[in-house]
Amino acid sequence: MEAAAPPYLAPGRDLRLDFFRGLALWFIFLDHIPNNIVSWFTVRNYGFSDATEIFVFISGYTAVIAYSRMMLREGWLRAASRIYRRVWQLYVAHILLFVAFTAQIAYVSISRNTPELIEEMQLLGLGENPYRAILEAALLKYRPVNLDVLPLYIVLLAGFPLALPGLLRWPYRVLGVSLATYAATLHFDWNLPGYPDDKVWFFNPMGWQVVFYSGAVLAVVAPDLAWLDRWRRTLTVLAALYLAFAAFIALSWQYNSLERLIPDWFARQIYPIDKTNLDVLRFVHFLALAWMVRLVVRPNARFLKWTILEPIRRCGEHSLQIFCLGTFLAVTAQIIVARYEDSIVSQLSVSIAGIVLMCLAAYAASWFKAGPPARGFVE
Amino acid sequence: MSGRALLAVAAMVVVGWSAPVNAEMQCRASRELLDIGNPLDIARTAVADDRELRIVAMGSSSTQGYGASNPQYAYPAQLKMKLEAAMPGVTIHVFNKGIGGQDADEMTARMKTDVKPEHAQIVIWQAGTNSAIRRTPLDKFADKLRAGIDIGHSLGANFVMMNLQYVPAVVALPDEEEYARVMSEVAKEKHAGLFNRFAIMRSWYNDGMPYAQFVTNDGLHLNDFGQKCIGKLLSMAIIDTIAPKHLTGAPNTPH
Repeated sequence: MEAAAPPYLAPGRDLRLDFFRGLALWFIFLDHIPNNIVSWFTVRNYGFSDATEIFVFISGYTAVIAYSRMMLREGWLRAASRIYRRVWQLYVAHILLFVAFTAQIAYVSISRNTPELIEEMQLLGLGENPYRAILEAALLKYRPVNLDVLPLYIVLLAGFPLALPGLLRWPYRVLGVSLATYAATLHFDWNLPGYPDDKVWFFNPMGWQVVFYSGAVLAVVAPDLAWLDRWRRTLTVLAALYLAFAAFIALSWQYNSLERLIPDWFARQIYPIDKTNLDVLRFVHFLALAWMVRLVVRPNARFLKWTILEPIRRCGEHSLQIFCLGTFLAVTAQIIVARYEDSIVSQLSVSIAGIVLMCLAAYAASWFKAGPPARGFVE
Repeated sequence: MSGRALLAVAAMVVVGWSAPVNAEMQCRASRELLDIGNPLDIARTAVADDRELRIVAMGSSSTQGYGASNPQYAYPAQLKMKLEAAMPGVTIHVFNKGIGGQDADEMTARMKTDVKPEHAQIVIWQAGTNSAIRRTPLDKFADKLRAGIDIGHSLGANFVMMNLQYVPAVVALPDEEEYARVMSEVAKEKHAGLFNRFAIMRSWYNDGMPYAQFVTNDGLHLNDFGQKCIGKLLSMAIIDTIAPKHLTGAPNTPH
């Protein structure tokens, strides 16, 4: 099945990671534009999980690939400090995004003389208590609209050095600890504090870590997964049935005639499908999806190298920059659609324009990276 | 881009241009459903005499705005904007006291500390959903509501009770309508107003509006549209009660 070496030691780049992470970034952008017709293309309309699970899962997978070899060669301290350098980059990116995001709203409302926009898009707390809000933003406790994903990633990666040695030695035990933490979080309703004081983290790190560590563990144990293939047919049938069930429920939110077919006793079992703590239905949906992708898309699948799909891969390669840009552009798109004309044409145009800009930025980032290394700044 | 893809995009554009706005996708409710059933006389006096209206929005996640993409889309903030637009010259304050996950007893416990400092003339009390989900006994639920209303009345406020949201997670419960009924009865008994969110949202659903239009995909919380629409309808209901059309020029017909 897989190559003999575990993915974290295998040479070359697994193009699936870039491709699906790029796709997830496109989906996150499209889904962040409210009532966007184009978001019909995104995964969340056909099941319980959405692009967030894909993004967090791949982040865990790539974290192992990026840092495990370094730890084996240069020791834990070196790997841990590199991880913290990355955490710092993420933090800087998040703060920059916070400022750019706020400035954009301020700019539009001042230049167009539409104070109601500031009110409408107001970042709760910033207007009422700016000093406190800035302090809380620096502490990641105050996270305005759509700025929830990066803080989650920062917290997950900050804990990663502690898990890394164990991950390589006893991957299944780490998975066990991760699952236990997830179960305890659901049972005891743990969460981290937010701002204003009665808020909590929209993406609860103690719940969502299970997606991150599922990805991380998989990057270690992928070659051993042959034992799973003994039940390949059973698992595939189960996954397909579950995906069909999830698709039916998701479509019932769009069509009342389908919705009326769901009996109350059954609906009582599934609702609410919590996003903050990662409902089990969402997690299982993502696992079923991942299983199907594993079967259908091999690491050497030919379509991954198609030129027409290169823009998606490029976005996936530069995920941090493209994620930030996408979040920023989603607000731009929202303002344009709300201010000028809320029509399918405008939703379509801002969606396409946003994705084109994200791709251009990704190519620019590749171009910078490919240039000759500056003397003294080799990294 | 291949020819076929181009054709598909062109087709979507044409469809997009020609598609009419669906009637069942609009924010609306019948006049009867918007009747609060209480004159809100304290609020009316404050508006007429002091040109000021102070509102406390007491509640759980619906009030806090969980599920909306922006806290400003939560119904309390929307209510403030709509009231300001409808009653120029009247200073409107809306204090959001929503705390996600809370039941009636937890809100009754903080009623005094949350309402007193704001000198509110209206307390909007959104409740019932968490009680129904947690299966709080109905008589205990009713007692807590009565106690909470008594506290607010002693502080000189009118009440508008906002009952459960009509969403999959609530509709699936065996006795959600019992909780709505108890809220109506307590409101009547204690001379509080009632904003019948449950019946209003049920009318959206029965008119053919899909859940995806007004509920997030957790099946429980209101999304941007749901929150904004509740804010708009609530403001219309309050304006109709305290500042009839001929005084403010505000539209009082739902549309």
